[in-house]
Amino acid sequence: MYKVSLLTRDGATIAFDAEPSDTLLDAAERASIYLPSSCREGGCGACRVSRASGEVELMSYSSSALSEEERMAGDILLCRAQPRSDLALRAPFDEAAVGFAPIPERRATLVALEPAGSGAMRLQLQYEDDPTFGRAAQFTAGQFVEVTLPDGSAKRSYSLANAPNWDGALELFIRVQPNGAFSNYLRDHAAIGDTLLIRGPQGQFTADEASAAPRWFVAGGTGLAPALSMLRQMAEFADQRQCRLFFGVNKVDELFALDAIGALKTSLPQLVVTLCVWKPEKEWREFVGTPVEALAEALSTATEPPDIYVCGPPALIAATEEAARSGGVPHDRIFSEKFTAA
Amino acid sequence: MFCYQCEQTYRSDEGAGCAGAKGMCGKDAATADLQDTLLYVCEGVGQYLHRARQLGATDIEADRFILFAFFTTLTNVNFNAVKFVELIQQASQIRDRAKALYEDAARAAGKTPESLSGPAAFTPASNMAALLAQASEAAVRKDAAILGEDVVGLRSLILYGLKGVCAYAHHARVLGQERDAIYETVEHALDVLAREERDVATLLDEAMSLGRANFLAMEALDAANTGAFGAPTPTNVRITPVKGKAILVSGHDLKDLHAILEATKDKGINVYTHGEMLPAHSYPKLKAYQHLVGNYGGAWQDQQKEFAEFPGPIVMTSNCLIEPQPRYRGRIFTAGPVGWASIRHIADENFAVVAQAAQALPGFTEDAPDQTITIGFGRDTVLGVADKVIDAVKSGAIRHFFLVGGCDGAAPGRNYYTDFADEAPKDTVILTIGCGKYRFNKQDFGTIGGLPRLLDMGQCNDAYSALVVATKLAEAFGVGVNELPLSLIVSWFEQKAAAVLLTLLALGVRNVRLGPTLPAFLTPALVDVLVQKFGVQPVGDAKADIEASLARAA
Repeated sequence: MYKVSLLTRDGATIAFDAEPSDTLLDAAERASIYLPSSCREGGCGACRVSRASGEVELMSYSSSALSEEERMAGDILLCRAQPRSDLALRAPFDEAAVGFAPIPERRATLVALEPAGSGAMRLQLQYEDDPTFGRAAQFTAGQFVEVTLPDGSAKRSYSLANAPNWDGALELFIRVQPNGAFSNYLRDHAAIGDTLLIRGPQGQFTADEASAAPRWFVAGGTGLAPALSMLRQMAEFADQRQCRLFFGVNKVDELFALDAIGALKTSLPQLVVTLCVWKPEKEWREFVGTPVEALAEALSTATEPPDIYVCGPPALIAATEEAARSGGVPHDRIFSEKFTAA
Repeated sequence: MFCYQCEQTYRSDEGAGCAGAKGMCGKDAATADLQDTLLYVCEGVGQYLHRARQLGATDIEADRFILFAFFTTLTNVNFNAVKFVELIQQASQIRDRAKALYEDAARAAGKTPESLSGPAAFTPASNMAALLAQASEAAVRKDAAILGEDVVGLRSLILYGLKGVCAYAHHARVLGQERDAIYETVEHALDVLAREERDVATLLDEAMSLGRANFLAMEALDAANTGAFGAPTPTNVRITPVKGKAILVSGHDLKDLHAILEATKDKGINVYTHGEMLPAHSYPKLKAYQHLVGNYGGAWQDQQKEFAEFPGPIVMTSNCLIEPQPRYRGRIFTAGPVGWASIRHIADENFAVVAQAAQALPGFTEDAPDQTITIGFGRDTVLGVADKVIDAVKSGAIRHFFLVGGCDGAAPGRNYYTDFADEAPKDTVILTIGCGKYRFNKQDFGTIGGLPRLLDMGQCNDAYSALVVATKLAEAFGVGVNELPLSLIVSWFEQKAAAVLLTLLALGVRNVRLGPTLPAFLTPALVDVLVQKFGVQPVGDAKADIEASLARAA
């Protein structure tokens, strides 16, 4: 890890750490510092800065973006440079050109609260109008928010189940835990109109838009939420790609969001849903077993390897990764979000 | 992928062209390959339409599809691989229709239909993986070893010029202006590309034919824009934000802007123009909307920073889109030919959702200090003061005109254009078009005899307006356009500019300086033709080029 310090034209110092395997642009972004850039391929020169001290290695770039003389004079391209020592850089732009994106903190009102199957609750929240963010619920489908209780006593993170929207609506599914701080709030105190503090969106469990592969979602319990969000977004965009959902719970009574899944089957006609119940306590005509078992079965007849998105408890993730590997899905095509009991 | 259609293409000692996982523009390899395939299938459509037309049969819907399909493949327009799978299937169906049209027409004329090969006989697969496996058959340089580099370069010039013609013709069409002669030329060019013509003179003729068709396309677009919204008039445009909810509209499509203005009327939403949409403020029927409040930001390459800071939704109606950054991904919309996977697309010109987004987003919380620039010097306005202009030239008050215009871009070499405008002597007038103007359009250049020294003539396609003015002035002086004290300092980036260049060459306009670099697809031999036959010069040092231009005129 090297220290990078970048002096802007107007004299501000911006510092971040960079691994030798990172480009400086990526390293800065990891620190939520968005430096000016455009092509990110060494072709446009938008991220050219000069080097006051330190060493970098430059990956291939276009001579129209960085001439031999400029390079000899110490100029580098942030998108092509990997650090080989601590670095002092001088930028040709002002600090105002640098984007910093702290995670928004906003207030939201509880507008609906209802059981979601026998083991979870569904919450509908409404963002308050905010001078910085307006009332829009802008996030990338699959992301989560951190929610703070009205009395400030507890914070928990939950994936959003709805798609980004202009109404400011947030939909969460929360698993009821015996004696969980949030569960106690929901059971004993929550009232429509309560104000909760929302910190988000956060998280990188989002669809890989660059991939054209089919999208398969594996969801355990309330791990359904990010899958619902991504599928709803696909429906909104009339996405044509193949998609499947393997949604599993332990008991039939625990199933929830079946209306939402039904609506998706209409709005996203190619969606194939497998509802999985591990230990049905009553008659159950669909898949008996875990969603991972259903996934493994489906993979054995798949015509092209899908991208797999899995959200649920750690054991479900591990089992999915194993099943996907055996089913011929490359490791880097498995995307996961773990949740832990709280 | 292999793509070298734009100015920004990857260049190294080994040669030029984007051939990795992703191009300089952000287009991934799959999208690039699918674009090649789409154009290849369109060549097949052209083979049939060209022959059908000779027999008196036409299919205007097929022609319209070709315009749109080509437009989607311009630099910085559509990056959505899935969209191209869909367009290829449509192109394939249209080709079947064109084939039937041709064969029926031939039989009706008592002839045996030709059995066509090449793109006409290519069967595209129905899914992405299979299409990508086929893509090498449609690659731009697929037969380079047989055809030779010069022929491949000329074919590329034709293909990219054709893209520009199609884009302009599409813009004109959406406003109801179409020209059969353009469709005829497009079909002809597609047929030439399909049959792998190798004769350099024939290919050059085709390029000139496209240049003339592009003049028609720009004329049609001028008629479309002025017909729908009135002739541009000099207008002061605010370039700083106004307090309130806000929408930013980028690209070239005035019809989309009009639809957005209608969708946001009386809703307390202010509409701002971005990039090439700036000239919209000078059209009477658009500036009549009080909520079209100003212009925001600079040229396209600055959008990632500027859009991130814009507190409302952004609509891209045409090029140039670059990868939407996370901070504004959720509030940028595409329309028309534009696309990016996972970005909301408005296909039906219904912008109600954009108005809804504007109301849900914060907007500007305060007024910035008022600053304005003056635009709107279209052909009518300039010719309206032709007497003054002619007198000023005769008296020596105006020594020379420089048309400094075209595309902007991020390459450091583009400082040339800033320097050029800065260094141009005070007794010279600078005309400008395109987004290249953002390098200098916020500076005060002063006036000559009451005329502003900087005259903003509009979008890149308003090269038409500039050509009309040049032609009329030449008539007034009793000389040819090339004898006018006028130098053209052109910056190019994408294929609309390639088409404009072909127009200048086809009309015999010399004295064009082209930069910041010459197209990578032109071989040294082809550059030599441009230099020798058409008088095109690469840009050099701004000061020296100004001196050389003035010396020529003296």
